[in-house]
Amino acid sequence: MSQQDVAERELTMSRAMTDAIAHEMRADEDVFYMGEDVADYGGIFDSTQGLLDEFGRDRIMDVPISETAYVGAAVGAAMEGMRPIAELMFVDFFGVGMDQIYNFMAKNTYMSGGEVSVPMVLTAGVGGTYNDAAQHSQTLYGTFAHLPGMKVVVPSTAYDAKGLMHNAIRDNDPVVYLFHKRLMGIGWMPAPDGPKTPVPDDPYVLPFGEADVKREGSDVTIVTLGLHVHRALTAAEQLATDGISAEVVDLRSLVPLDTETVLDSVRKTGNLLVVDEDYRSYGVTSEVIARVAEHDPSLATSIDRLAVPDVPIPYAREMEDEVIPDATDIVGSIESMDL
Amino acid sequence: MSASESVTVDSDAYWPTDVDEEEAIVTNWFVKPGTQVREGDLLGEIQVEKVAIEVTATTAGEVTALLVDEDAAFEQGEPLLTIAPRADE
Repeated sequence: MSQQDVAERELTMSRAMTDAIAHEMRADEDVFYMGEDVADYGGIFDSTQGLLDEFGRDRIMDVPISETAYVGAAVGAAMEGMRPIAELMFVDFFGVGMDQIYNFMAKNTYMSGGEVSVPMVLTAGVGGTYNDAAQHSQTLYGTFAHLPGMKVVVPSTAYDAKGLMHNAIRDNDPVVYLFHKRLMGIGWMPAPDGPKTPVPDDPYVLPFGEADVKREGSDVTIVTLGLHVHRALTAAEQLATDGISAEVVDLRSLVPLDTETVLDSVRKTGNLLVVDEDYRSYGVTSEVIARVAEHDPSLATSIDRLAVPDVPIPYAREMEDEVIPDATDIVGSIESMDL
Repeated sequence: MSASESVTVDSDAYWPTDVDEEEAIVTNWFVKPGTQVREGDLLGEIQVEKVAIEVTATTAGEVTALLVDEDAAFEQGEPLLTIAPRADE
């Protein structure tokens, strides 16, 4: 088979993630995975599908429902030189293990004066759009990105998911890897067109802190991440028919944040809309806009943001659809901007 | 590559034996018409009674048609896709 034939293969985001995890587990016996329903069930969002068969129960471990216990165990194992991956089934559950996440995983290297490293990955399913109510639908992008000591990664496609996962496992510091449930390619929660992409068989690393221009445009920059990359691309498609050329910048990682790519794009288009599935206040939208403003307040003619208003995410479909920005909202925001 | 006739891949071959359900959906295709595949390559996923089942290639060749759309339902025994076999593998 030629290289071209191999690259034809498409994968869902979940398969691209497990591809990277399996590769790293074959290469390094210190890599293992812990979480709720990650073994027999394969992860409720298919994050570990098929891994138990190959690696067995010592390395793909179902854990009791105690985030404090198993995130703590992962931190300890990492400090002793292993490379654990611990999964929060829903990112919403971070609170019950927050001391281990924030005071230990994120700070042990600092507190030890650099004597220990914590080379672990904390994975978590994020996001709404499927009526799972306020405690199972958050992204909490801003929460993790706000707290120093953790890298924060948010893939939007299968190709990106694999390269970012390789990099996360190989990183010598803690990485929070947030995968959007709607992008995984699960039967009961169909993904939009877009996250399923060609994925090379061979391993490859995508560095953190490199945003990706998913669509080039000249009139307005849409900065976003995760599911909303695809909603922004749909909006850009619609805007194009009205003669508005939108550029879509996929941040891919929040920490580190690729300010340069955002600035380059806004310099080109002169207008900026930031779209986020997290809460509006004190979050990703304000951070991105602040970075642009503190660099050069005159860089953009028009600036706006779209995010979840500062309310718990509703259960009812109509209400959830109302608070989570969709492609129509993005089009509306841009049409009301003074481009 | 020979221009040999396409073979039809039947959904019966992938149906689990321990279910009564006779309807399934295609959850994902990983190939398109024109994709070259090897024997054993993953072509797609179907879902029967919430269980995901992999559809793998029984022959090397070129995918010529996908007969059920992604997210669409089909009955047990309906054909899923066609492949033009390649003799060189």
